[in-house]
Amino acid sequence: MWETIIVNPFSTALLLIYKLIGGNFGIAIILFTILIRLITHPLMASQIKSSTKMTEFQQSKQWQDIQKKYKGDKEKLAQEQMNLYKELGISPFASCLPSIIQIPLIFGLYQSIMRALASTPGQLLIFTRAVSPLLNFFHINSADLVPLNSKFLWMNLGQPERVYMFGVGIPLLALIVAVTTYVQSKVTMPASPNPNDQGAMMNKMMALYMPLLLGYFALTFASGLSVYFITGNLIGIAQYALLGKVNWRALIPGYKPNTTARNK
Amino acid sequence: MKTKYLLLIGLALAMAVVLGGCATGLSASSWPGVTADATNAYIAGGPYVYAVNLQTGVEVWRYPAKAATATPYYATPVLTPDGQLIVGSFDHKLYSLNPQSGAQNWVFDQARDRWIGGVLVTSEGIYATNADYNLYALTFTGTLKWVSPFQADQAIWGSPVSDGTNIYFGTLGRKVYAVNAQTGKQVWVKAVDGAILGSPVLGPNNTLYVGTYGDALVSLNTSNGSIVKQETASSWIWSGPVQDGTNIYVGDGNGMLYAFPMTDTGQPWTQQLGGAIVGSPLVNGKTIIIGTELGNIYFIDNTGQNLRPISITGKIYASPVAAGTLILVAPTSGDNTLVALDLNGVTKWSFKAK
Repeated sequence: MWETIIVNPFSTALLLIYKLIGGNFGIAIILFTILIRLITHPLMASQIKSSTKMTEFQQSKQWQDIQKKYKGDKEKLAQEQMNLYKELGISPFASCLPSIIQIPLIFGLYQSIMRALASTPGQLLIFTRAVSPLLNFFHINSADLVPLNSKFLWMNLGQPERVYMFGVGIPLLALIVAVTTYVQSKVTMPASPNPNDQGAMMNKMMALYMPLLLGYFALTFASGLSVYFITGNLIGIAQYALLGKVNWRALIPGYKPNTTARNK
Repeated sequence: MKTKYLLLIGLALAMAVVLGGCATGLSASSWPGVTADATNAYIAGGPYVYAVNLQTGVEVWRYPAKAATATPYYATPVLTPDGQLIVGSFDHKLYSLNPQSGAQNWVFDQARDRWIGGVLVTSEGIYATNADYNLYALTFTGTLKWVSPFQADQAIWGSPVSDGTNIYFGTLGRKVYAVNAQTGKQVWVKAVDGAILGSPVLGPNNTLYVGTYGDALVSLNTSNGSIVKQETASSWIWSGPVQDGTNIYVGDGNGMLYAFPMTDTGQPWTQQLGGAIVGSPLVNGKTIIIGTELGNIYFIDNTGQNLRPISITGKIYASPVAAGTLILVAPTSGDNTLVALDLNGVTKWSFKAK
């Protein structure tokens, strides 16, 4: 089911793009990532909107009054919070859903890249069985696509990347993934009036852990996935920028957000 | 808020686990390689190399003692005249083992990619092709004699062959190479119409045969690489062809088994079998033996007559191997790791790795 709905169509789309642009799999991954981001842009816009609403909610006098009022009664506080969500039309999971949707896309893309690159006999056999019939539908002979050109810049997209300097393998791409993920998290993080509130602390934790996690993936898995992560991070920043929600000053060490100005 | 982030962190961790599973999914990587001597069968089957007694079907040893998921073995193990078992791994290392005990003799670790095909052993030493586009020549002690001074255009999955003067191999980049066996220097290179996944085979009259993913069996002149003839199959040809001095035999993805004459005395024939043919056929006297993806082993006379199918649980991608009066078959995703049949196709024993 997963293979039929996600992996095989993704592989086919990647290979169609690869074929159309004349055989550069790195560019195919970048274009495919842009395509996926365009398709999921309404979700992203909805996530940004929901996050903004949530931040505004947390800064509202009404919510702060309720917090003070029910300081010692967590159950009542939670109940009042839910009531207020309803009243203001806020869904606490609306900002979370688009991120969750990204996760199966990452699974699917990784598997599609590995399937399309087919760097082992087993993978090539699966490619032959699963992807070839779809390619035939588009009048493309899969034999013409074997092997794919897996070289992109200095990378072999089917292998984890290392740049060798003085005999030492430096995971340059993993570093770029970690840095771009960190930058994206920082510049798109909603400003909070109170850096000690739970949401702000969680955001800070995510800004720290996500670069480490994605950096680890980039270090361990095929570099094609890293190309997807980097492209996705850059497009993510661009999407926020288009909606006027990027705060570059957040990258300055010691920066204190002016929440009133930003969240208006 | 807390729930939301815990959910995200949980999903991220799940992603790590699933991606990890994808990367090390051994079952999807390849299928076992098998060889045998007079005493044991040797199977490179995922996390271990096994030695199985040919008389009893009982495991004699396994290597390594503790499996490492990042070190799957699939390349066909090869025995050397001085009593070593050479097997390559997906961890980029080539191992020499003692066939009696499974003890490690040496490890060659200078290649940069997977070892997918078995090595070629000659009286001169070991010739090994790697997916890093290189041909390596080693001594029997595992010392590098030379690495080909040129890089092939693409990964090399099949084993090389030699006529004593040159070494021949095909690449995924649709090229056939001839290199000098002493120096590793390129003698000639010839492009063909499809990726070459298996090994070439030498025939009479200075002819080299290669099967291609582009549905063809190509014969080339070994002295200059010129294409002598090209036969068309109905689908891709995966593993290399085999020959018996008269005909050359090869199977394709549609389950067609072909016999093409190499000499004037040979007679062409074809047989439609059930299931795709991935492994090379085995020539055992006057019988051709071949396995298919649907789990059938076929015994057929070398005249194309008297087809006898035997059913085995699992998919058969590995080439069958003869060991005395036994035919060894290593199914993929079946009930057993290795099945020993007699020459009538009756199961003598089966071995299941635990």
